[in-house]
Amino acid sequence: MSALRLATRSVLRSRQLAAPWRGSFRGYAEVPSDRIRLNLTLPHQTIYQDADVVQVNLPATTGDLGVLANHVPTVEQLRPGVIDVVEESGATKQFFVSGGFAVVQPGSLLSINAIEAYPVEDFSAEAVRAQLAEAQKNATSGSEVDQVEAKIELEVLEALAAVAK
Amino acid sequence: MSSLRASVRPVVQAAKAASYRSRAPANAYATLREIESRLKSIKNIEKITNTMKIVASTKLSRAQRAMFDSRAYGETSDEIFKKAETVPATEGNKLIIVSSSDKGLCGGIHSQISKAVRARLALEPDADLVILGDKAKIQLARTYASNIVLSFNQIGKEIPTFAEAQSIADQIFKLGKKYDSIEIFYNRFKSGISFEPTSVPAFTEESLQTSPNFSAYDIEEDLAQDLTEFALANAIFWALAEGHACEQSARRSAMDNASKNAGDMIGRYSILYNRTRQAVITNELVDIITGASSLQ
Repeated sequence: MSALRLATRSVLRSRQLAAPWRGSFRGYAEVPSDRIRLNLTLPHQTIYQDADVVQVNLPATTGDLGVLANHVPTVEQLRPGVIDVVEESGATKQFFVSGGFAVVQPGSLLSINAIEAYPVEDFSAEAVRAQLAEAQKNATSGSEVDQVEAKIELEVLEALAAVAK
Repeated sequence: MSSLRASVRPVVQAAKAASYRSRAPANAYATLREIESRLKSIKNIEKITNTMKIVASTKLSRAQRAMFDSRAYGETSDEIFKKAETVPATEGNKLIIVSSSDKGLCGGIHSQISKAVRARLALEPDADLVILGDKAKIQLARTYASNIVLSFNQIGKEIPTFAEAQSIADQIFKLGKKYDSIEIFYNRFKSGISFEPTSVPAFTEESLQTSPNFSAYDIEEDLAQDLTEFALANAIFWALAEGHACEQSARRSAMDNASKNAGDMIGRYSILYNRTRQAVITNELVDIITGASSLQ
């Protein structure tokens, strides 16, 4: 019964995509030719959903990447760093992310799944320094698992320290 | 003659009255106590189920908000598989992940998801099972205990966090077995009063790389594996969040029904109690009056 439902579901899926491609999977109007549609989602919060923006700069593991309209479809893993979003109004919002994946889909759609992302203004340099000291201590003592976790924490915090004011 | 009968009658009546006194009141008192204690316990139960309903309502509103966020997150994660037109493999090692929870008193949540999983296992009896939540484990262990490779508890107490989903995905990879297709069974939230057991595939590296439209993407060699592992954690998180919302809504309506039923029973038993109490009093009066009249 559920196999049938699954088969029907995947048939429907392919049938939907065989239809003329209309830009967003939600069936909204096509993305304007000089904009990129951004979905920036976190597990517990959605920062941007189907927002048409001008440009998005991403901190990818392969290097920094600027995404404009009609960017070639790519899959990038994000390293701890800052995502800049240049909105239609001209304002630039900056978010610090700890990691995740960014996928440029065909049709000027940018899907970002980040684990944590906060506006850069929300961080305090002192709190970052304190956490950095703590993590450095843990990186050299404790069990192996603790040390590895602390090293990952250090990576994120060092990137954050460069940005927090 | 009539005076003789008259003197006999009171004796007979007194005897009858005596037998009534020994039989009916004792029985009626025992029944009265029983009814009173039942009434008290039903009132307690009604208070408890009412409280549980209120708690489930507040939890439901929070769970629903978390579910909408998790839906946006999960759909974003799914986007690449949609665009690449990935299809799950039909052969090879199959893994079924069942999203349930530890607590009961939530209507048909656990039995419905177990039924859906059993129906799938009837078609694919060699599939491995990873069960999230004790309730589903108990149900599935009855008939498919040998399929269970991993089970988790402490699920469902609060809104699921991504860290939980991530550690579940991590444990699955630590098993070391390479799966060709993974399917996640969970209860999809249709509305505040209805849910539906559904399954979604979590695509593997091979499925992604053999997708019809995969070549459209510019992707580094080893990223496909990382991406699919990340996508599995995202899918598990989405399933847990939806399942949690379904459970809270089912618990709310189950406790609501229970409170209503308890309320009905309280009404019925109160009437019965009062009637019995009045019967006891009436019997006592009959005894007293008969006794008094027999002394006249």
